[in-house]
Amino acid sequence: MNFPSKLIEDAVNEFTKLPGIGKKTALRLVLHLLKEETKTVEMFGETVIRMRQDIQFCQKCHNVSDHPVCSICLDLSRDASILCVVENMRDVIAIENTHQYKGLYHVLGGVISPIDGIGPDNLHVDSLVDRVKKDEVKEIIMALNPTMEGDTTIFYISKRLRDQSVRITSIARGIAFGGELEYVDELTLARSIATRLPYENYLMNH
Amino acid sequence: MQTVYLKELHIANFKNYVQSKITFGEKLNLTVGHNGAGKTNLLDAIYYLCFCKSYFSSNELQNIRHEQNYFRLDGIFEMLQTKQTENIVAKIATHRKKSIIRNDIPYKRLSEHIGLLPLVFVAPDDMQLIKGSSEGRRKLIDGTLSQLDQSYLDALISYNKVIQQRNSLLKQFHERRTFNATLLETYNQQLVPLGTQIHENRIAQTALLLPLLQEYYERISSGKERVNCRYKSVLKQQSFADLLQSNLYQDRSAQRTTEGIHRDDWVFEINGYPLKKYGSQGQQKSFLIALKLAIYQLIRQHKNILPILLLDDIFDKLDELRTTQLIETVMGEHFGQIFISDTQLERMRQIFDNFEVNPKIFKIEDGVVEWLNG
Ligand SMILES: [Zn+2]
Repeated sequence: MNFPSKLIEDAVNEFTKLPGIGKKTALRLVLHLLKEETKTVEMFGETVIRMRQDIQFCQKCHNVSDHPVCSICLDLSRDASILCVVENMRDVIAIENTHQYKGLYHVLGGVISPIDGIGPDNLHVDSLVDRVKKDEVKEIIMALNPTMEGDTTIFYISKRLRDQSVRITSIARGIAFGGELEYVDELTLARSIATRLPYENYLMNH
Repeated sequence: MQTVYLKELHIANFKNYVQSKITFGEKLNLTVGHNGAGKTNLLDAIYYLCFCKSYFSSNELQNIRHEQNYFRLDGIFEMLQTKQTENIVAKIATHRKKSIIRNDIPYKRLSEHIGLLPLVFVAPDDMQLIKGSSEGRRKLIDGTLSQLDQSYLDALISYNKVIQQRNSLLKQFHERRTFNATLLETYNQQLVPLGTQIHENRIAQTALLLPLLQEYYERISSGKERVNCRYKSVLKQQSFADLLQSNLYQDRSAQRTTEGIHRDDWVFEINGYPLKKYGSQGQQKSFLIALKLAIYQLIRQHKNILPILLLDDIFDKLDELRTTQLIETVMGEHFGQIFISDTQLERMRQIFDNFEVNPKIFKIEDGVVEWLNG
């Protein structure tokens, strides 16, 4: 694609770096921004910059947060003795949307996959073990996607927690079969958290 | 007993085919043409619709006709007895995701298709199964067992994924000078049930395959020699869990999983000696065909379906007696739809003159199919 302006070309190239955006879509978005008032576009840019610069990760659960400790962890009405272990922020959003879960979260930041260069040290596994030891956690619910990598991660964490008196459960495997947690409808997700199984049963049914 | 057969095939841009629409006979189909005319490619197209891949080339670009950017195969399969049909379409285009469609619904996982339309292919290249490395023999047995049992294929896919991750981990231990016993143990514990399931399945099915192989070999070769097919696996001596444990240092220094069911083999023997070394070319060819027919019967008994049988260019190197025995065998009631290719029309005519069958004969030239006896 040839552009009459280097400025436009640069902007288009930046947009194409976003997931799911090709050259044509990028050009459409740039032309749209060009039609807007300068003020509006400045606001757009500043919002994005502020989002990136000011975002924090909760010191306790590693979810994204506007403060050092996130609003979920600070909410005293929630049950701090239950932790739901998820891969990323999108899973937190999906589970929160069910309005059924009243415990806290622990965001791992991914799943173990040596092929992709991700080992336990690249994830928030150690801090999960620490939390279980220090915070009197009674139950952790594994809500990871039913892939081989998800299974490995559950397996590994439960080995690390072998000597703790914490109950380990897992959401039913059937629910997210073939899809990702974030695509499961709310009712099904809520039910699968309610009917979670002890981890040993999960292994046997598997 | 059901019979699955290919009723109609529409080929576009597959290998040397431009466009062809062919209606096949429900029992015997003969394709004649000289080398390079496209006989094998036609059989490969049929194979493709049953296995979502070419028998010969895993590189899809090689399956697209020269200077084209896609190929399409569209087959209508029918169950002879119930008249129930399955329409399978394969669409492969450059820069697009491969798509296999069953009755207008695309598969999410291609592995779900394996076994729906059972098929056995006998190709001239198959001599590599006897002469070549263990990989080919594992592929043959795995391809067979996957058609019998979807859970075998699932276990195999999972096993291979875990092995890949475990090997990457071993490599990282070496490169980063680290070690995490708990994580390695995690992979071991995932491998053990999968590997054990695959191993037990292989033992059971090899035991069922052996008498069938011996029976067919006897029939084709008129019973002069005794053949054997022995399953060789490290798990016969040791449990998988113990094996992984005792191989710890070996695996760490090799940076991969050195032993396991991914290294299994099948040893072919004739009168107690390795067939590879001591079998004549005719004996090897007879063995190969007997093995494929045995696999055919294993699938038939398991699924209660007569699979499709493809015999590509197999009359070379078989003497007249063996050829007659083979044809007599496959024309029997234990076989369904058959495709046979050869270079010589006269030889084919002579062979089949002795049988009360009405084959459909197709002449193939430069990727164009012509029905001769219509
Ligand atoms: Zn938090």
